Amino acid sequence: MKRMTAIVCTLLLAGLVLWGCGGGGGDTSGTLTIWQTYNDEEHPVFKEMVARFEESHPGVTVEVVRLPFAGAEPKIQTALTTRTEPDIARVDVSFLPKLASKNALLALDEYVPAEYLADIFPVALQSCMYDGQLYGLPDQTNGLCLFYNREMFREAGLDPDTPPATWDELVSYGQRLTDKDEGIFGIGLTNSLWWSLPFFYTYGADLLSDDLMHCTLNTPEAIAAFQLKVDMFEEYGIEGGAWRAGGITGDVGFQNGRYAMILNGPWAVESLKRTGIDFGVGLIPAGPAGSHTNVGGNDLVVFKTSQHPELAAEFLMFVANEENQRNWALTLGQIPVNTKAMDAITSEEHPYLSTFVEQMQTAIPRPPTPFYPEIENLFIPEMQAALDGTKSVEDAINTAVGEVDKLLAGE
Amino acid sequence: MAVQRTSVWKTIALYVGLTAAAIVVLFPFFWMVVTAFKEPGQAFSTELFPTGPTISNFKRVLGDFGFGRYFVNSVIVATTAAAFATLFASLAGYVFAKKQFFMRDRLFGLLLLSLMIPGMMYVVPQFAIITKLGWMNTYKAMIIPHLANVFGLFLMRQYMLTIPSELIEAAEMDGASERQVFTTIMVPLSIPIIATLFLLTFQFHWNNFLWQLIVTNVERLYTVPVGLAMFKSAHEELYTLKMAGSCISILPIAVLFFFAQRYFIEGMTMGAVKE
Repeated sequence: MKRMTAIVCTLLLAGLVLWGCGGGGGDTSGTLTIWQTYNDEEHPVFKEMVARFEESHPGVTVEVVRLPFAGAEPKIQTALTTRTEPDIARVDVSFLPKLASKNALLALDEYVPAEYLADIFPVALQSCMYDGQLYGLPDQTNGLCLFYNREMFREAGLDPDTPPATWDELVSYGQRLTDKDEGIFGIGLTNSLWWSLPFFYTYGADLLSDDLMHCTLNTPEAIAAFQLKVDMFEEYGIEGGAWRAGGITGDVGFQNGRYAMILNGPWAVESLKRTGIDFGVGLIPAGPAGSHTNVGGNDLVVFKTSQHPELAAEFLMFVANEENQRNWALTLGQIPVNTKAMDAITSEEHPYLSTFVEQMQTAIPRPPTPFYPEIENLFIPEMQAALDGTKSVEDAINTAVGEVDKLLAGE
Repeated sequence: MAVQRTSVWKTIALYVGLTAAAIVVLFPFFWMVVTAFKEPGQAFSTELFPTGPTISNFKRVLGDFGFGRYFVNSVIVATTAAAFATLFASLAGYVFAKKQFFMRDRLFGLLLLSLMIPGMMYVVPQFAIITKLGWMNTYKAMIIPHLANVFGLFLMRQYMLTIPSELIEAAEMDGASERQVFTTIMVPLSIPIIATLFLLTFQFHWNNFLWQLIVTNVERLYTVPVGLAMFKSAHEELYTLKMAGSCISILPIAVLFFFAQRYFIEGMTMGAVKE
């Protein structure tokens, strides 16, 4: 039986290839293959969505392959070498520019009408643009907010309904919340570029220049922003060293009452609710340039080799449409990528999610560079050196920016 | 007397030190088991024993996640691959150790050179061959590409070199065929290294993640490491489920290690000394 299915699969695949050679044609029936990385809660909701798509498209079969998030990128890259990639894949926003720059993706501009795009949340849509063309549609978007432990706020004599609105407030709250002898700290922060972007953005610093050729994190604003992160640990002593190797990570410390505040995304809400701690979510504390989060998420892309480009594009539009996004957001507690679906998230019924939706309005998307993972890798060790005091902030940032500029110049 | 007393103290010190080291080494395993019995929300709680231990993680891992299936796949792949890789390596090792043929040592050197190439380099070409053969989504694809094992060949050859050739000559004089020499002389005398190689290759295949993921597009062919990776998504990790899955995943290795730890240790020191 197993072998039979395997043979059938192989034949099907071969059949698809042969069919492709014949010219494809009218795009109303056929099989779409999707490689996706949805988690345990999302997978069943996605499968249900796929079933509804099949129902409304007689003759169409959608074959869903679930991949572990950790192995998806190497698997896609390997498959591309032999042209055995699927029609559609769900990829992290940082992977899309890489695939697009290698010419693996189908540009969707002629398949997706402009009036449809007008409804897609702009910040999320921007993650699908590369070199002025549309290479996918978002299926999930997220950003960071400030999580705070209401119980600890109460104990420190702070109002549990008012999280700090500015970084200055956060520092002074943090000083009241910190009890070093007990190992309790105001905040726990992660060291990576992505997790530091809210600091930079609230100070008005950008990651890259508009032409994507220079790193612009060495401005006085950027240095002041990172200095704040370092000071929280060294100067004010309100940060618990969560970024250190072997340190208590933000998630763990927050759940055990060691850190009163952390930055985290909407994905953390459900699991935190299960722990039973009393927590609230506030906007990223504002800096001189306001309150801004960075953006993460996932996009659905269509590969160039797809034999059913129109059908594939239609599926992407189906996932991001108002109805599906509303259902997705309400079932899973995630930020919808369709602006029309955002109305369904009210602060009365969805106190956590509505804060995230509000935060996303001022979110700053990542620049569409194919080198984001490499930039991240160049920054992490320098940031680490600044945090543990072996380098000055200015020194560390300048070194990292220099390295990134070399990378971007193709040296 | 005095001498005896110091040796007693030495022994005590030794055991204290070793016990401390054993606790350090075993604690992560202990923590894995403890976490596997916690409720999802308690994954990060620091209590040594969960207040309300639950087996729901194991139920979910084996039920919703189909870990039983992954486990069977892993057993099939790892056992078959280890058995054949060991067989081929011992046959080849015998020839390279005891037979004379044209360019033997140069050929052996050439094979050893291939060990210098990182394993990742083979992934794409091997994958290209697998797709050309139409082997995607088969056990064949998961097993066959790893059967020729140069490291195993090296291990077997070095060990077999230490078996006196006189034994073979004597057997041949008594009329033993080539096959009999191999099965009655070489194999019995090489059991320690054969067992070692089997265990090492089994362990390698049991842990292999990327290759098994790349050549399978259907969940029913996924192996345990691929299944374990499913518990981690972009931002969160289902730790209690992952630990329950890990408990199941270490079973075969733990059992094998328990019964054959001698060979694991030998595998580590083998080749360190050459006679």
